[in-house]
Amino acid sequence: MACPVNNHSNRPTHAQGCPVASRRQVLFGLGAAGGALASATGATAAETAQSPQVADAPSGHLGDTLQSVPFHGRHQAGIVTPRPANGLVASFDTIVQSPDEMEQMFRRLTERIAFLTSGGDVPDRDPKLPPLDSGILGPHIAPDNLTVTVGLGASFFDKVGLEALKPKTLQRMTEFPNDALDPELCHGDVVLQFCANTQDTNIHALRDILKTLSGHLVLRWMQDGDVPVILPGPDGRAESARNYLGFRDGSANPDSTDANRMDEIVWAGADEPAWTQDGTYMAVRIIRNFVERWDRTPLGEQEAIFGRTKDAGAPFGGTHEYDEFDYADDPDGALTPLDAHIRLANPRVPATEENIILRRPFNYANGATRANQLDHGLLFIAFQADLEKGFIAVQNRLNGEPLEEYIKPVGGGYFFVLPGAQNAGDYLGRTLVDAVS
Amino acid sequence: MTFSRLLATASLSLGLIASASVAAQAETASLDLVGPLAEYKIYVAENTSQLVKDTTAFVAAIKSGDVEEAKALFAPTRTSYEKVEPIAELFADLDVSIDARADDYEKGEADPTFTGFHRIEYGLWEKNSTDGLEEVADRLLADIIELDNRINGLTFPPETVAGGAAALMEEVAATKVSGEEDRYSGTDLWDFDANFAGSRKIFDLMKPLVVDSDPEFVATVEANFAAVDKVLATYQTESGGYVTYSNLTDDDRTLLTAKVNTLAEDLSTLRGKLGLD
Repeated sequence: MACPVNNHSNRPTHAQGCPVASRRQVLFGLGAAGGALASATGATAAETAQSPQVADAPSGHLGDTLQSVPFHGRHQAGIVTPRPANGLVASFDTIVQSPDEMEQMFRRLTERIAFLTSGGDVPDRDPKLPPLDSGILGPHIAPDNLTVTVGLGASFFDKVGLEALKPKTLQRMTEFPNDALDPELCHGDVVLQFCANTQDTNIHALRDILKTLSGHLVLRWMQDGDVPVILPGPDGRAESARNYLGFRDGSANPDSTDANRMDEIVWAGADEPAWTQDGTYMAVRIIRNFVERWDRTPLGEQEAIFGRTKDAGAPFGGTHEYDEFDYADDPDGALTPLDAHIRLANPRVPATEENIILRRPFNYANGATRANQLDHGLLFIAFQADLEKGFIAVQNRLNGEPLEEYIKPVGGGYFFVLPGAQNAGDYLGRTLVDAVS
Repeated sequence: MTFSRLLATASLSLGLIASASVAAQAETASLDLVGPLAEYKIYVAENTSQLVKDTTAFVAAIKSGDVEEAKALFAPTRTSYEKVEPIAELFADLDVSIDARADDYEKGEADPTFTGFHRIEYGLWEKNSTDGLEEVADRLLADIIELDNRINGLTFPPETVAGGAAALMEEVAATKVSGEEDRYSGTDLWDFDANFAGSRKIFDLMKPLVVDSDPEFVATVEANFAAVDKVLATYQTESGGYVTYSNLTDDDRTLLTAKVNTLAEDLSTLRGKLGLD
């Protein structure tokens, strides 16, 4: 298999035991081996056909495209699933007004997601008609690690007249003190989170659903992002990826492979309406980062603001990002400032254990702003069993933190992620539909 | 205004190319299409004739400096154009000068080549004046008369007519639901209504040719047109016009958008269902 080169970022990637080579090295190597020679001597047609051309499809990801995440299960995929390199959140308004229409929408969504995540051939159609598929992945759709995760906003329950079945802490996102919410980037009746090895796969799936569910869903906003690929640490252990402020993000996440921890932290509890069992709350935030200003901030100050070292991601006084620690021996913040981001977010005391959330963010780069700055930031995504004890409590503790000078939340919303479709005869949202009748 | 128009820079020859290629294509139209096409041609001719008449009155109001009268005539005058846009757009040079929006120019409203309905709309609503609009108004009337003449001499390409039902929905979906088409006057719902009427006309004329083979398609499209009519009716004024676009509720806008998208999806198959390339 060819070793992957990330085609979006040109960053060197490391996966599946491939030797790591930068794109630059690859290009230099080719130049010495054949490219330069061919251009000097005049390449024959056969040589040209074999040597890579500028518009050739990137050879990376050939093996990755076959990776797949099972669609069926107690829980939806895309929550405790290891995060692939690319993510995309799309929020929709719906015109569904009745439980019957709701069921029709859920069944249709399930059918499309089941196909897209397992892959297959696009059916042929009479060439006089528009093709059934956008074609951006060619006639054969590879799964490419795609997951599509479906959630509902509080407004959905109001629209279909199911207020009584609304999950207990589901609500419309409110503005926190440092927010500058753009109404065109907020809320939504239905949210879809797409994650895959390549953004093309996410976009293909989004376009499929836009086309096949045009009678139910209208796109409201969407934000895509990716995860920078980094080399594992010296001990071979994978390390947390970095955000666009250059700091590791997710170091203190709970162990997503620990089913008992996930039951406590992520999956909705027994005090919720029965239909929500195996679902979870999702908080999405589009958080702009003022990266130019951040890059002009002294390293020591950057580290004090986050509460970790920048290079290793270690807690102060530690050496590794995963070092165990608490603040018992630092009550006055001599080592880690009391208003450091990670200390406010997770004070590591028994009383705040119930506020632990599972974060699964992506970085976004949206071009330039009117002020001639980069519009970069974090597509923050967090899952929790209780929205108020989870994200809302954490964000309330963070209000006023020094990091606010460098970040500005501009969009997002709160959603309840449906339980999984258990098997081929099941569909997403069935427990909600059953609860109505 | 479509994106294609941006590609087709204002060139007089475009109209002639359209007429020439059209004639060749028309010969291949199946016999079944002859009746509907002839009827559609009459529909378009009636509308362009109405357009000339209405534009004449609109231009007269501008040149007499009557801002209120000109404002009142703006939206109803445009409807005849919006109904037949799939045909009118075949003449890209005229479409640019009649119906371009400020966004089509890098310099926006300040661009001296920005003319037509929306340039006049800008003056009437943003400046509340007819000052400097006389020349634009004369040009608009001349363009409309030229359009009427060219359309009368045109053999309609069947795939353009059949595809026009969906093309009108694409117009609404791409630039109208956002309220950016008639941004100064807020008269977008008039355009909506005309675009739907124009699309519906084509669909109704072609319906007998597909109803036997695909009754479900016909039923779905009719139900979606009916849903649109129902929403639009709630925004109609007593005089038969429409309230300003900002009155549209978010829920109704979502409903209209979904119906427009679904109609565009469904009607995009009409050409193929009729056996046209």
